[in-house]
Amino acid sequence: MFRKVLIANRGEIALRINRACQELGVATVAIFSEADRQSLHVRHADEAFCVGPGPVARSYLNIPNIISAALISGADAIHPGYGFLAENARFAEICGDHGLRFIGPKPAVIAMMGDKATARRVMAEAGVAITPGSGIVDTIEDARVEIEKVGYPVLLKASAGGGGKGMREVHAPEDLERAFTTARAEAEASFNDGRLYVEKLIIKPRHIEVQLLGDEQGNLVHLGERDCSIQKPSHQKLIEESPAFGLPRHVRDRLYDMALSAGRAVGYTNAGTLEFLVSGEQIYFMEMNTRIQVEHPVTEMVYGVDLVKEQIRISAGESLNFTQDDLHPVGHAIEVRVNAEDPANNFAPAAGSLTRVEFPGGPGVRVDTHMFSGAQIPPYYDSMIAKIIVQARTRDAAIARMERALAETRIEGVKTTIDFARDVLRDPNFIAGGVGVEYLATSFLPNWTAPSETADV
Amino acid sequence: MRSSDLIRVSVRETDLEIELRRHPRPVASQPAASGDSGEGGSPEASYEIVAADQVGIVRFTRPTAAEGVVLETDREIAYVEALGIRNPVRSKGAGRIASVFVTDGQAVEYGQPLFALDRGA
Repeated sequence: MFRKVLIANRGEIALRINRACQELGVATVAIFSEADRQSLHVRHADEAFCVGPGPVARSYLNIPNIISAALISGADAIHPGYGFLAENARFAEICGDHGLRFIGPKPAVIAMMGDKATARRVMAEAGVAITPGSGIVDTIEDARVEIEKVGYPVLLKASAGGGGKGMREVHAPEDLERAFTTARAEAEASFNDGRLYVEKLIIKPRHIEVQLLGDEQGNLVHLGERDCSIQKPSHQKLIEESPAFGLPRHVRDRLYDMALSAGRAVGYTNAGTLEFLVSGEQIYFMEMNTRIQVEHPVTEMVYGVDLVKEQIRISAGESLNFTQDDLHPVGHAIEVRVNAEDPANNFAPAAGSLTRVEFPGGPGVRVDTHMFSGAQIPPYYDSMIAKIIVQARTRDAAIARMERALAETRIEGVKTTIDFARDVLRDPNFIAGGVGVEYLATSFLPNWTAPSETADV
Repeated sequence: MRSSDLIRVSVRETDLEIELRRHPRPVASQPAASGDSGEGGSPEASYEIVAADQVGIVRFTRPTAAEGVVLETDREIAYVEALGIRNPVRSKGAGRIASVFVTDGQAVEYGQPLFALDRGA
């Protein structure tokens, strides 16, 4: 096992990794920006280094300062968390060059899955169903030819893309030129790579993803699925569950089989997630995330496996101490992301100071957060301030437990998504289960009105 | 000493050693323009903090810039060694070294104060 791990992240995930290390008896090194000096992840670590000013390019993405902090503190390994450098194959390579273990898959696998067009080709070769679509289309005419093969509507997507950037829906031939031009310009601006490809637009699919865990001895298991269909209009996930409610047995089994064969095909190691769109019986591979995900706790709650500890053990060369047959999910888990955002104002992020913070407790409730009364939310980082996770015997009981947990939660000083999430939990279509990724934006939000300020005293 | 002036308190248990360091005032932001020292300026000396831009190991450049040393002109007073690269720390002009906050060979982080320079000297 490692003696010391540097955690190259901030916020709740840095704390989450710190906790896993402490329970494994591994010393920790935090990094922080000048804007995060008072943050909880700094306080809980054994050592901490300021690596730069607030803006991420100069701090949490400052590879020389991060590697230098790892070397002078005598760390053996770096855990990247999610976001920032987590899927940066070059960073993983640089770690290796300096004798540091990168806690994640091999750099070549990160690079392969990071390029979406390559990932689609590799997955198709591994027998994974991919959305009908094309390779790279260089011109509008190429795109037109490819679109005619799969039929409208389609998505134009950036090969280097992610987070909805460089992506446009095209519903009719006359929309193509404008969509192509704007998607390319956005992809160039965001990723310095304007390459686009075509993908069939699947109507009202669910977002269902499968968790994989593989060791360096060749053992690979899945830890079931997560349904992340409740997404903001920007496609960011807001509520996640495990298992996916009402998914037919044979569809679920096919998802697991595809995920495992995909993982085997690329020799996948460490924790990773295959994201699929599921529409009725149809399954389409979307992308693979080669890191721990924000919503990993719902899987941990139903499987009783600490995914972050497993990541660290695997990178330290240990083999999995369980097999697929040992893994049995229990009950149902739900996660609500609490964001410092105003749902009534297009989820505009809010920075500021938290005057009062009270989190829930009691049976079956877990809170992953770096917030406390008096904490500052700097303007530089993402707006997620907490994840509230519950587990119960059934989905209905989990929903009731989450409602109770959110009712106990008090966050004052900034606007949050808590009341919005409570309204979603009370929505008959959410309760019935199985809504698609478009549901929140196109059906729920247009009929939702923010609770009045005075009612919320 | 005002409590807000404190920038370091270190207490070592064996052979009990207590070290207090006071922040030089006024801090950093306004180095005194040369030549204005006589013209009704602040009675206090004007200090400028030289901080580390890299995470690394600080090494003093000879002749060693100890407290009280007067620098006639801009020169390298130390460097921060990071990933085998020597990142110079320069005085950026003349001045007297009013304080040295680090020891030779110490690990430093981004923004860590290394020296206080008295530009009015």
